[in-house]
Amino acid sequence: MPDMRFAPPNPLRIADRASGLNAVSVRSYNERLLLSLLLQNESISRFEIGVKTGLSAQTVSVLVRSLEQEGLVAKGEAQKQRGRVGPPTVPISLNPEGAFSVGVSVGHKHTDVVLIDFVGSVRFHATLPNPTPDQNSNHSDFLETVKKAIQLLPGETHQRLAGIGLALPEPGDGAHNDPTPPDLRYSALQEEMEKEIGFPVFVQNDITSAAGGESMFGAAKPLSDYLFFYLGAELHSRLILNHQIYYGNSSLSFDVGIASLERNLQEINKPTEPLWDRAGTWPDYGKIKESWEASLVEQMKRSFNALAQFVEIKTIVLSSYAPQDICGAICENLESSLIGVKAIAGSITPSPKAIGAASLPFSSHFMVENKEK
Amino acid sequence: MRSVLCFGDSNTHGQMPGGTPLDRFGPQQRWPGVMGRELGPGWHIVEEGLSGRTTVRDDPIEGAHKNGRTYLTPCIQSHTILDIVIIMLGTNDLKVRFNQPPSEVAMGLGCLIYDIKELSPGPKGTIPEIMIVAPPPMLDDIKEWESIFKGAQEKSRKLALEFEIIADSLEVHFFDAGSVVACDPRDGFHIGRQAHEDLGVALAREVEAIGWANEHV
Repeated sequence: MPDMRFAPPNPLRIADRASGLNAVSVRSYNERLLLSLLLQNESISRFEIGVKTGLSAQTVSVLVRSLEQEGLVAKGEAQKQRGRVGPPTVPISLNPEGAFSVGVSVGHKHTDVVLIDFVGSVRFHATLPNPTPDQNSNHSDFLETVKKAIQLLPGETHQRLAGIGLALPEPGDGAHNDPTPPDLRYSALQEEMEKEIGFPVFVQNDITSAAGGESMFGAAKPLSDYLFFYLGAELHSRLILNHQIYYGNSSLSFDVGIASLERNLQEINKPTEPLWDRAGTWPDYGKIKESWEASLVEQMKRSFNALAQFVEIKTIVLSSYAPQDICGAICENLESSLIGVKAIAGSITPSPKAIGAASLPFSSHFMVENKEK
Repeated sequence: MRSVLCFGDSNTHGQMPGGTPLDRFGPQQRWPGVMGRELGPGWHIVEEGLSGRTTVRDDPIEGAHKNGRTYLTPCIQSHTILDIVIIMLGTNDLKVRFNQPPSEVAMGLGCLIYDIKELSPGPKGTIPEIMIVAPPPMLDDIKEWESIFKGAQEKSRKLALEFEIIADSLEVHFFDAGSVVACDPRDGFHIGRQAHEDLGVALAREVEAIGWANEHV
């Protein structure tokens, strides 16, 4: 038996310096562990990585070096620790240019397409009319836009595109007036996109996507347990415990969303276009909006109180593409009637669902486990 | 107080380019001294640089005492407890008399890493941090040393990658000195005063970047 200590060296993984992202299969569990930490924290020192993962300093050193050579992580400037004697710490963070992802969200009336970088900054955004249910359509509009987004990436970074995330409404969602069963339509869409564009496509429920987006890149980043609301045409919710998004009874939604406000406004012939304009602000709708907000907050309180019988939740996150000031006012309203609960408006703009969808390829490539449950 | 052992050859000894082992930079100028200054008073620096030291080879001409492996064990036990061992060797293994490719030099370093792990001279008998430092590549013109080192220049440029592979596979820290300093043209394989300064500062930053808990000081 030869002394195996002196067999040819078998490196954990030397990043192939010539190519882009390594194949998913060769990314080790420990690398994913480290990248998960970096996706959850803006920056972190090697020492903290060791504490949080239980890996030795030497193993962390090897992993960081390898990911650095691959261009996925970057070393920051050494910082003197405040109020602590000892050496300065060197923060490690994700390299924004390390990976890119495209997110597509098929919503109530529009489809949003975004291109994000590794830290969630939006590099491209377009809003299109929804793909039509026409049998002969190949959603060319939609595919063209995705292609356009990909073309925005400089040539050498194309191999850094982790994939395309697709956020789709729950099959059976009443908001859709398409005769084809949604799941069939969606799987056809996924297949078509993979074939046409040549990148892996990941599909997820759109509300779960929005929750995932807020958790990875938005207001919910530092939170581990909270009740998540998405205010769209209707009001949807998800429960997040220990960073896991629970799907729950996902088809359950409440008709107290923007669609109900739209109906109320239509009854008195007020213009409703601004409600669906992503970039816009809402005009002063006066009493109509006030009573709508009251019924919305009432429903949110009911959901919260029902849940509070089983789990102690201290935080509510409200995500929406509605203007920030509208969400902020709803949160204030909610906080004033739920003592000891913090309500936070989501911080992802312009489309939480599309950005959440774009986070899917990152989860799949780089994280320890998909957070979707 | 933390202790760091700097285990190396003439470039750790502080031999001046173009000089002899007697022409030595001062304690504050040599990279271990610079690193100590940068790390601050919490660190004890142990300098162990021997001119002509190899990784694992008895030198048939200069003597068996140049073998880094046989000296490592008594050296480490003399200086225990050690928080980190920094090894910068490899250039002397490229002498014509040893006839070794870069990969074999890296294998020799691997032996030293195994020996340190077995000795476990860290706090409470643990394995200390181990940092492999690849020496800067030799220059093409190595003056009168050409006959002794014939063909070494080319090999020396491949040491960093081979060392990194062995460091990765044995899970230890790695630093490529060639990324911050170059050899001095006076003899083509020793580093000058400014290079000692730059290397000492860079290695101090590398040591700090490992991250150290505040307990057991």
